[in-house]
Formats: sequence, structure tokens, C-alpha cells
Amino acid sequence: MKPFLQKFFLNSTFYVLFFALTPVLVSVLSLAVVVRAPFISHRRAMCHFRQLIKVYGKIIISFARPLVRVQYEESAPLPDAPRLYVCNHRSASDPFLMAFPPGEIVQWVNTWPFRLPILGPFARWAGYLSVRAMPSEEALARSARLLEQGVSIAAFPEGTRSASRVMGPFHGLIFRLALQTGAPIVPICISGNENIPHKGSIALNPGTIRIKTLPALTQSDYRSFAPFKLKTLVHEQISAELKRMEAAE
Amino acid sequence: MLKEEVIKLVNEVFAEDFEIDPAQLTPEAHIFAELGLDSLDTVDLIVALQKKFGVTIRGDERIREIRTLNDLYEFVLSIRPAE
Repeated sequence: MKPFLQKFFLNSTFYVLFFALTPVLVSVLSLAVVVRAPFISHRRAMCHFRQLIKVYGKIIISFARPLVRVQYEESAPLPDAPRLYVCNHRSASDPFLMAFPPGEIVQWVNTWPFRLPILGPFARWAGYLSVRAMPSEEALARSARLLEQGVSIAAFPEGTRSASRVMGPFHGLIFRLALQTGAPIVPICISGNENIPHKGSIALNPGTIRIKTLPALTQSDYRSFAPFKLKTLVHEQISAELKRMEAAE
Repeated sequence: MLKEEVIKLVNEVFAEDFEIDPAQLTPEAHIFAELGLDSLDTVDLIVALQKKFGVTIRGDERIREIRTLNDLYEFVLSIRPAE
């Protein structure tokens, strides 16, 4: 089969599965939590719910499997404490890729994902935070409470998809959260998905997405840093590692 | 205060409080896109400038118009009349 036709066929298959099965998967996964909820604590129910969201993410990624492959790598053991996953952001596929890093995760998201049908309410029920829709103080306070409960936070501090291999500047709120709480920062490099799909398109192009966690920065590493310095350091670490990863391709 | 002096003191704030390489501190440098400050850093910048120049600039609406370092130099000059 010609590559164009193969891509068309695999994209069609992916989106038919995505749109047809998302309502089913979301309903089944939500029901699995609702049925158990009366017999377990609210905290435990939320934990199950967030783990099931990761299951949903992995299932969706598996639908794209013939076209898109995902490699996940940890360059160092991750700390046991809840973490702040700080990721670069090239594509709409990034939130689904947060199914790979371990632990119960709440994502900081932009305002528009909350407006998506089905997935928007799903994210809201899971306690995802639309940080642009609330004052910084509230985002910090709610995130600090989540960390105290053992929940990790995933953030894309570029704030919007870069759509290219050039990283945009970081917004510093997640680093202020680190300085306030002492939570370890795990930088995550996501490479290869700038065209899966490209910003402004829904077409998935063939390729391999690589997710690599960098060694965590612990409170003892960054305690004396100003927020701007910490933000700059993590930006430089992710940028340098992405260059290394992509130079090796 | 002469503009050269304002430039020197403003650049000191960026170098000391934000640890930005002085080579990046050119008048046309965009404070957000090129130097990487965000809205929260701007609050820290205002506090540092107030301390450096002994003035009160928080609440001045003209701050919202500042984009480049030169805009900032001109703004500081405007609130600190030439001696």
C-alpha cells in the first residue's frame, strides 16, 4: 500500500476508535470507580480514578500503535515522594503521554481542554487544575494540598504547544510551587511528537515518541535558588537533553 | 540621573536578581520573549527596581506597556527625573 493511503487508513482507524470508544471507555472507567466509591474513602476513590485515566491514556495511545510508537525511559530512579513533572510541550498528544510516568498524577491544563466534550468533565472530576482560570495563589494552594495527599503534578510550563523543536519560554508558577513545598522536580523530555499531530492539524504522522525523565532536582539542590533561576535551570536541562536525544536520531 | 546610570542600575537588577548574562542585556532585548521573564517574575522585578531606585512604581499603569529593556530604561527615567 502507498504510504499516503496507509497513513490515511491508519488515521481513519485511529479516529474511529478514538471517537467511538472514548465515550464507552470513559463510562466504563467512571462506573468502575462509582461502584466502589461507597465502600472506600473519597481519597482512595480519587486515586483509583486517576489511575484509570492513565489506563485510558495508554489504551488511546495503543490505537495509534501501527503508526506511532512510544518509548518511555527513566534516566535515574525517581524519588518516592510525590513529584512535580515538568515537561516540554509540542503536541496535543502530550497529556495522553502522562500515562507513562509513575504515580497518581494531576495535570495542570490550559482552559480549553476543560471545554472538550466528555474529556473535559472527565478531567474536571479527576481534579485537574485549569491554572489560567484561577489566581496563582489558589493554584499553589490546591496543588500543595494534592502533594500533601501524595499526588504528583504534571505541568507544561511553556503554557501552549510549541509545535516545533524550539522550546518556548517557561512560566514560573510550577517552580514557585516547588520552592514553596520542597517537592522534587522531575524534568521530562518529550521528543518526536511535534507532528503527532502537528499544531492546527489532527493528522497523526508516523514516528516514534520518546519520553525521557531526567534525574530529579530535590529541595537540597534548589533550596537557595530564586524562582527565575530554577525555571531557567530546568529549561536549560530539558533543552540540552532534547538536543542530545535528537542529535542521536 | 543620567540614562547611562539608569541603564547600569537596571542591568544590575537583571544580573543580580535574575542571574541573566549581561551580554543578553541589550536595549532591544524583549523582557518576556527573549529574557524569559513571566508575569510573576515581573512582580519580583518591580520589587527589586523599587528597592534599587528608592521609588514606588507598583500600580503605575504604564508598566503594562513595557516590552523591551529600553522601554524599561525610559520608564525608570520618567519616574526618576534627571538630577
